[in-house]
Amino acid sequence: MAVTLDQSSASAVVEARRAHNEKLARKADQTRATWFPLAVMAILIALPLLQFTGNYNYLLHMVLFTASHVAMASGWNILGGFAGYISLGHSVFFAIGGYFSGMILARYGISTIVTAPLAGLLAAVVGYLIGMVTLKVRGPSFIISSIALLMIARILFDNWELIGGANGVTLPVNDLPVQWAKIPYYYAMLAIAAFTVWASYKIKHSKFGLGLRAISKDEIKAESAGIDTRFYKVMAFALSAFFVGMAGAVWGEYLTYLRPNIFLVILVSANLVLMSILGGKGTVAGPVIGAILIVALNELFVATMGASEINILGTGMVMAAGLMFFPLGLVGTLARKGKLPRVLNWD
Amino acid sequence: MTELLQVTNITAGYGDGPAILDGAHLTVEPGKVHCIIGPNGAGKSTLMKAICGMLTIRKGDVVFKGKRLNGMRPDQILREGICFVPQERALFPKMTVRENLRMGGFILDDKKELERRIEGILERFPILRERADQHAGTMSGGQQQTLAMARTLIIKPAIVMLDEPSLGLAPKIVQEMFDIMKMMSAEGVTVLLVEQNALMGLKNSDWGVVLDLGRTLFEGPAATVLADPRIQELYLGGKKAA
Amino acid sequence: MADILQILILGLALGGVIALMGSGLSLVFGVMRIVNLAHPSLIIGGAYVTYWAFKMTGVDPIVMLPVASLIMAAIGVLLYRLMFERETKSAKYSEMTVLLTFALAMMVEGLLGGLFTNTQRVVSPDYATDAFFIGDLFIPKGQLYAGIVSLVIITALSLFLKYSRLGYAIRATTQNREAAELLGVNVNFICILAFAIGIGLAGAAGSLVSFVFSFFPAKHWEWIAMLMSVVVLGGMGSILGTVVAALLLSVIAAFVGTWIGATWSTLTFFLALFLILLVRPQGLFGEKPEMA
Repeated sequence: MAVTLDQSSASAVVEARRAHNEKLARKADQTRATWFPLAVMAILIALPLLQFTGNYNYLLHMVLFTASHVAMASGWNILGGFAGYISLGHSVFFAIGGYFSGMILARYGISTIVTAPLAGLLAAVVGYLIGMVTLKVRGPSFIISSIALLMIARILFDNWELIGGANGVTLPVNDLPVQWAKIPYYYAMLAIAAFTVWASYKIKHSKFGLGLRAISKDEIKAESAGIDTRFYKVMAFALSAFFVGMAGAVWGEYLTYLRPNIFLVILVSANLVLMSILGGKGTVAGPVIGAILIVALNELFVATMGASEINILGTGMVMAAGLMFFPLGLVGTLARKGKLPRVLNWD
Repeated sequence: MTELLQVTNITAGYGDGPAILDGAHLTVEPGKVHCIIGPNGAGKSTLMKAICGMLTIRKGDVVFKGKRLNGMRPDQILREGICFVPQERALFPKMTVRENLRMGGFILDDKKELERRIEGILERFPILRERADQHAGTMSGGQQQTLAMARTLIIKPAIVMLDEPSLGLAPKIVQEMFDIMKMMSAEGVTVLLVEQNALMGLKNSDWGVVLDLGRTLFEGPAATVLADPRIQELYLGGKKAA
Repeated sequence: MADILQILILGLALGGVIALMGSGLSLVFGVMRIVNLAHPSLIIGGAYVTYWAFKMTGVDPIVMLPVASLIMAAIGVLLYRLMFERETKSAKYSEMTVLLTFALAMMVEGLLGGLFTNTQRVVSPDYATDAFFIGDLFIPKGQLYAGIVSLVIITALSLFLKYSRLGYAIRATTQNREAAELLGVNVNFICILAFAIGIGLAGAAGSLVSFVFSFFPAKHWEWIAMLMSVVVLGGMGSILGTVVAALLLSVIAAFVGTWIGATWSTLTFFLALFLILLVRPQGLFGEKPEMA
């Protein structure tokens, strides 16, 4: 009456599993389309040529704005998506980047485009130090600690006379004709965005990225598998701060002023979370798609309804609906269903 | 047939996951102690969860006293008289022993009757009376298990299902748990037991059930299960058993 | 010496209100493991209910409290059923619910802002600007009444949790959801109830807040970290812990505010939150680091 594991049927199962795995690997290879982002980049690089034919400043502004969010959301995604540590305090790094480069510009006249990598580095160092402390807790505790971080930073920036306190600092405007005034920032931001997405892809496919994903799945198991989880997490935090800081640096000069209530608001962080989740947390394309969607949506809200209150309400509603109905995000949900268009599979 | 509970050919699993139980049978006769044995992952705990309504039964029937239990909520099944003590013992660590017993009678509406029954339980288990106002979480493993088992008696259940009452307890304490179980049985409570220590479980039971790969392989008197050489070899750890 | 006593009194009165603001948050976390970032925005919702009632009919905020509480509780039931009930089976439940409540906070803020603009409001019954004088000490009546009402409500809540049948069920669900279910507790109903009570407490706190602080829709961001620090220090889910932590931190903040500067008094809460999360994530009264 007792049943034993039939030797032949067991090997059949193993065989079937192997075939299945091979099929999956083949499929992944076939569907990845890295040519698509490269093509998009080429178009975007050529876009300013339009300025010879008329004034397309609004279009350039939208691309620049989107690019800044692509960079920041992709940066956020390194910690929030790959490692699974949701931060609602990333505006802090945006502010650090913006203020560092902005203050150098105000004092010494060096463009933020030049100092952006340094600003990113500073943000990364701060991120590293903060991460050493806050990454001891996970889940909701970490999220709360990130909000506390933002609140503390806001109070400090509001009361720091050297950087203008709550009134902020006005930055010098460049002397290019209106038609070309945006171009340097346009290319700088585009480069930062492209670099971030490229880095995000490289990280995801590295041993480091694999470790981060293991941490997000089950940190205790990851640790017992020999991953130095502490170091991995803190590095992820620093890296993600780096990209957000770089974007902040260029953004400050583009905006021509620095003010805590622009840089250090939770809405900035919320947007990064929203973009990553809506697009697909933990995927390379997700934050990019999410950034494009949210920027477009924001623009729609502002254009049709104006008031910023409606914008906040709309952002909240989109976020709630996204979480409830597409918890894996657009890219994640489509990928799970096997319906992800080839052009969006960059992983 | 005189069976109290009849489980016929059920399929069940967690959420949308794979079926853990696939073709499980179980016949529970009144007043006896039934022991379900089988290796890890055989579906023993899952079977109990399916009976008490914590898992949706996808196929098959659970019939208790002629009434179909499929699709009923855990609290409804509890009211029918089937009580389940899971492996983790399901105590409320920051409630006192008395409060835990009160929770045991949550479905009773008569408050006075509830207090009387709690008194009765404390009478029979002196160790619980001694600790009546102590938080359950501060007691030893054996005391916690005693409380978990005693708590089921508050509602005077027809069937008590115990998932590995011996887990994590010292051998001497384990025998105490089996003694409590036998006492419950002597009072007319039908006991359904899952035991990792198959030998010990069967020795303290009337009826044995072998479950593996989500299927019932064998049901019969405990003595017959103990004596079967194939079962001995596969599930009782070889010949050294006896 | 009189100075110290004065600061202490002001700190304690404010702490009483903050305790009530935090208790709903703590209850909702304790029973459902939901870190409700929208809690302060719902408190502001309750404050607006009270504000408009006062403005239109002149009804006293403390009299309005039960009504505001019931209205918010009803909204709580609705929110739970629409947004959170379906998440109970989600694999990343706690993370998911934090993000959902964050989205909810934005929705509430946006809605209130759209309806009532971002103008600062305050309800001003007579006692809000009046004070008792005992020797050199002055005790603002508004804060005193609010503190007392808070502590009465929290005591009632604790008694309800401790002795009533539903209170048993709520505590049992808090401690061991599966076990409660096995003993016949309709866990989903208890979750709805607890959420409703939690949001009802937000409404009640809103009524008190309406004449203690000035408020506007976006103000909740200032409160979230403050309330979190109270609830986390109290050991998430412990009402008593929340009260103690609220009183403690408010008193410290009052001293910081007087001796160092008003700007830095709010910083007390944020720094405290930061420190607690790092040093003792389980809080003062928590026994194990459930969230860490």
